[in-house]
Amino acid sequence: MSSHREAPEISKDPVADSSDLYAFVSPDHPDTVTLIANYVPLQASASGPNFFEFGDDVLYEIHIDSNGDARPDLTYQFRFRTELRNDKTFLYNTGPIESLDSENWNRRQFYSVTRVDMHGKPTLLADKLPCPPCNVGPLSIPDYAALAEDAVHKLKSGEKVFAGQRADAFFVDLGAIFDLGTLRPFQDKHLVGQKLFDHAGKAVNATDKTNVHSIAVQVPLHMVRRDGKKKVRGRDPGAVIGVWTSASRRQVQVRQGDKNHDDVYVGPQTQVSRLGNPLFNEVIVPMAQKDLWNSLPPSEDKRFAEFVATPELGALLPVLYPGVFDNLAALNKTKAPRADLLAILLTGIPDGLIDEFQNNTGKIQADMLRLNTAIPPAKEPNAFGVLGADLAGFPNGRRIADDVVSISLRAIAGATVPLVDADFEPDDAAALVEQGLTIKNVSADLLGEFPYLPTPFDGFNNPPAEKE
Amino acid sequence: MSRRRVLTAAATVGVGASVAGVAGLSLAGEGENKDDGQALVISLRDARKGTFDIFSGEQRVTFNDRKLAAHLLKAVRRG
Repeated sequence: MSSHREAPEISKDPVADSSDLYAFVSPDHPDTVTLIANYVPLQASASGPNFFEFGDDVLYEIHIDSNGDARPDLTYQFRFRTELRNDKTFLYNTGPIESLDSENWNRRQFYSVTRVDMHGKPTLLADKLPCPPCNVGPLSIPDYAALAEDAVHKLKSGEKVFAGQRADAFFVDLGAIFDLGTLRPFQDKHLVGQKLFDHAGKAVNATDKTNVHSIAVQVPLHMVRRDGKKKVRGRDPGAVIGVWTSASRRQVQVRQGDKNHDDVYVGPQTQVSRLGNPLFNEVIVPMAQKDLWNSLPPSEDKRFAEFVATPELGALLPVLYPGVFDNLAALNKTKAPRADLLAILLTGIPDGLIDEFQNNTGKIQADMLRLNTAIPPAKEPNAFGVLGADLAGFPNGRRIADDVVSISLRAIAGATVPLVDADFEPDDAAALVEQGLTIKNVSADLLGEFPYLPTPFDGFNNPPAEKE
Repeated sequence: MSRRRVLTAAATVGVGASVAGVAGLSLAGEGENKDDGQALVISLRDARKGTFDIFSGEQRVTFNDRKLAAHLLKAVRRG
């Protein structure tokens, strides 16, 4: 998955587990950037009576580096607080919820938004903003879309925010990929698969019909850029921002074990989850270091550069698909560091490698989602992003419909090596390899406006009743 | 520290962490810097050196007091 359950410790703490991060120039408001961080992954929609929610004891943050030092110049902090209306019922709602202040809605969640500047100075932008409820079902919430729309808040400071349940729009054939690196469209060419299959298979979207909890913020572009400029040229280093999200918990928690004393949460915030580029911790970092990676800031990522330079998956592909990745195998034998991957994931792509494009942030190696904010949204987006000649897509930021799994597979398979080595000829398969899924394999439609992610799947209809 | 109310304490022998529970408030949000009535947790990180961590609000303060560490360990052994 992108980052769902990507490390041993955080997989046991879903409330703080970041699963996807998106950063793109807003298609309907191209003078703004939209940043979305998903948490609490893999939610089954029928989860009453205790539906999913953010952690009141978790500090959620979205960070923006605008000067390339891999440290935040702007951070948005989100803190949540849950309130119970009726302590005599076991129910989430005691009747239809038709508004965010409905008397029938028993367990509500609110949040504050704090903006922290490059000097660490916090400014409280809003307090007690209501989240929408979880999508219980049509009897409880007759018009979920309208209710969720009411939970989009425009702040006086210029940002738009939303925090609440959404359908997970990430698509991945998880069952195949982690069954010895199988890709169903190529399963009959797999080292083991060729003994089991005599035909290509059809991919399965393992995350379909699951929900997540999303934190979304839409920010005017000049507020995230280095010099606060409203207009910049694509070649201007100040056009590029680096984005990551993190979740932190207090260092100490004391469970009192009795109702007379509240549990205690004290001490500095300690980071337990981090996400920049999709799949970085999941596929690049060895399992023994994944929890460590989650605890560190991007400015420490130099220590993980060796795993980018010689990715384990790059060595596995020629073994798993015999005779398909011969050129990659030859490249691996040279033991030359993968300068293409180091650039894409840790520094950004410098000017001069791709026509009219750069998203470089300098020499400091850090896993950040890098977005050149001067590149306007594509009129006809290509899910393969920059590899599909669409400069507005991953790895230039990340849009919701980008096929980041296939893009990453192609890059690791050698498709991006010619960026740094004109003599290298990628295997034919490097330009063809894909997981076999698109955004159409998500059974919910993206919205045309903020927060863009689809209406969450409701509990009554998912899983569906048998047809009578 | 004297203004705060430490209720219980516990420690483990040797290098390790332990927690002293304190009655107090639940989750603290932004802007919390007030002292009185706030939760305070003391951890004896290194009994031999007498190194303590005090957790309060969003802060951790470290100090050394071998005598206090010895007293606490003695109290723990007494049960």
